[in-house]
Amino acid sequence: MDFSLSAKQLEFRDSVRAFLADKLPDDVREVTKAKSHLSKEQYKRWHKILGDKGWSTPLWPLKHGGTGWSAVEYAIFDEECHAHGAPRVLPFSVSMLGPVLIAFGNDDLKERFLPGIQDGSDWWAQGFSEPGAGSDLASLKMTAIRDGDHYIVNGQKTWTTLGQHADWIFCLVRTDPNAPKKQMGISFILIRMDAPGVEVRPIITLDGAHEVNEVWFTDVKVPAGDLVGEENKGWDYAKFLLQNERIGIAGVGVSKNEINALRRIATAEIKNGKPLLEDPAFKMKLAEIEIELRALDITNKRMLVETERGTDPGPVSSMLKIRGSEVAQRIYELKMEASGLYALPFQPNAGQEGWNDELVGTMDTSRSAPVYLNTRKISIFGGSNEIQRTIISKMVLGL
Amino acid sequence: MDFDFSEEQKMLVQSLERSLAKSYDFETFRAQYNDGITHAPEVWNMLAELGVMAMPLPEAVGGFDGNHVDVMVVCTELGRRLVTEPYVSNVVLAAYVLETCGEASLVEGIATGETRYAVGLYEPQQRHNPLAINTTATKDGDAYVLNGHKAVVLGADTAGQLIVSADLDGASLFLLPADAEGVTLRKYPLLDGRGAADIILEGAKATLLGTAGAAADIIEAAVDRGAAALCADSIGAVEEVKALTGEYLRTRTQFGRPIGSFQVLSHRMVDLLVEYEQMKSVAMEAAVEARSDDVRARKLAVSAAKVKVGNASRKFGQESIQMHGGIGMTEEYALGAYVKRMLVNEMLFGDVDYHLDRFANT
Repeated sequence: MDFSLSAKQLEFRDSVRAFLADKLPDDVREVTKAKSHLSKEQYKRWHKILGDKGWSTPLWPLKHGGTGWSAVEYAIFDEECHAHGAPRVLPFSVSMLGPVLIAFGNDDLKERFLPGIQDGSDWWAQGFSEPGAGSDLASLKMTAIRDGDHYIVNGQKTWTTLGQHADWIFCLVRTDPNAPKKQMGISFILIRMDAPGVEVRPIITLDGAHEVNEVWFTDVKVPAGDLVGEENKGWDYAKFLLQNERIGIAGVGVSKNEINALRRIATAEIKNGKPLLEDPAFKMKLAEIEIELRALDITNKRMLVETERGTDPGPVSSMLKIRGSEVAQRIYELKMEASGLYALPFQPNAGQEGWNDELVGTMDTSRSAPVYLNTRKISIFGGSNEIQRTIISKMVLGL
Repeated sequence: MDFDFSEEQKMLVQSLERSLAKSYDFETFRAQYNDGITHAPEVWNMLAELGVMAMPLPEAVGGFDGNHVDVMVVCTELGRRLVTEPYVSNVVLAAYVLETCGEASLVEGIATGETRYAVGLYEPQQRHNPLAINTTATKDGDAYVLNGHKAVVLGADTAGQLIVSADLDGASLFLLPADAEGVTLRKYPLLDGRGAADIILEGAKATLLGTAGAAADIIEAAVDRGAAALCADSIGAVEEVKALTGEYLRTRTQFGRPIGSFQVLSHRMVDLLVEYEQMKSVAMEAAVEARSDDVRARKLAVSAAKVKVGNASRKFGQESIQMHGGIGMTEEYALGAYVKRMLVNEMLFGDVDYHLDRFANT
């Protein structure tokens, strides 16, 4: 048993650090560190920089443009990115669609779409949830009816993250309404966001952000060639996609960085004439969450090593998602508490590019409550924590 | 990074498992427990013959030069089988103290299982602080005379030799026979069937171990090794609790269906499973760091483990009893024995509050 990184892993970490120090644009780092919202251009610029280095799709197979990194190396990369204030590359194209196209797409789809995912020139949104299909995703109603060379698509998707920026959306649609099981009549289809009949309506979340959207589809014509894999096999592809998210799902990198931010706030805030960081009650809360994160970090690494070895750690990703989201949410909660009264002034756009108002409090305190509110989502999206518990109870416990 | 046990460690576990399965099942434990027997020579000798005493000890004293991960694999099995023998008192605490204080030759008796020691570090009304020492030592010719009271000393009910801390220009350690004049032992079994005693010292003559006033670091290091070992013990116990409770949820039928099919129970069981992985992770780290020369790293790792394992095992015990219902309350069902085992592990060598405070201030 040995918890330390190997010489090769340390060397890899240094190469990541050198790259980030050299290539991460200052403006992108500032917005990320402020936990504010990146512009579309900032997201794309950073994606392109990673793509030029060959690092935008690290977990893909080598021949499709992956890096050949081990699971542990990817975790090191992820942690260093967060520590340096590099934004996370959005998962929709790189982690979700890309692996599905590689595994199930024909050569035409791969040639058309993989390059645009790698350099970030195509912005992809995810179209899974519907107003009536959240945790019960398979009950989705949006239809695609074959009509000659095309499908005619009608229905509505919701919670579409950054759909306002998207060039394309991959959707689960019902192609066989008469299938014996609701999971069996679903297909996986790619739709241009500028196609006639597609309409995006913003949803403003309680932190004041425009991050998610409703997307409406009215008689949208989609070429039959833009259906991925086989008709009515979409549910299998969706399950594959969701399982694929294992590495990084615990969010250890971001949580470690947020603990540092919490310490920074608690050093600046004064209680009884001393930094909050020295307050006994606060110290105990901090120690508790630090211990929980420490345990999560090791659990995550144990899983990564298993993954490297090729043994399937099974629904451990569900476990990491549950505890990872709980740990992160607790840290955001403590950041808000530590900010005290200056958590309250509401400046939802503070820190964004082009925002010129006078800041009330510090950037840390100003963002603390909006981020706390925004991150209540992390135990809901990607299969709520209750869905994850049901998966574990069935697959591990046999209940 | 490597989170595996070595081949040697896996073999050690297998032979220990086999031997305990043959000679020490739950009914054996229960009979001992109900008779107040905390130490059985045949079990103790079996452990010695298997080499689990010698495994983590230095080669020079007849050991196999193992590490604290060896201690972890052994203690996990001892917890799993509810073995009440004073393994930790001897192989973990006494062996370290004696070796560090220049008495390596005495450790040979621990490696063979011939001599049993108990290490008394805590005192009444000092909570969990091993450096709050009111016991005094005064020089008397070549010997020292001890006066004081050591609280709930693990293994002191069956030990032949006692090691105790006392104040002599600061924290110091002393060795004396358990039957020395001026020693009174108030012996009792603990909640979980392991044995202990309060040690009353009234003018008892003892030998100084190492240098007077210089034992604080040794005491803290010994306690950390013991704490890491008990975390491993709780991992063994909790794995059994997990198995018992999972099986119960799958097989117990109410309202015409297995109770585990009710989400209100299955989701709670999943939360316990998540806690289990978390506690195992920190227990492993504590085992790796327990002997580290980096004192800060050692303290952080051990305290993190003691807090996480303590909190999670308490929750495991409470939830498992609740999900079992009435049967979980009975003495004849193994669950309760594990709950008590984990509780004792939680409270010895620093409770959750002590270690949370130390983690926050290290």
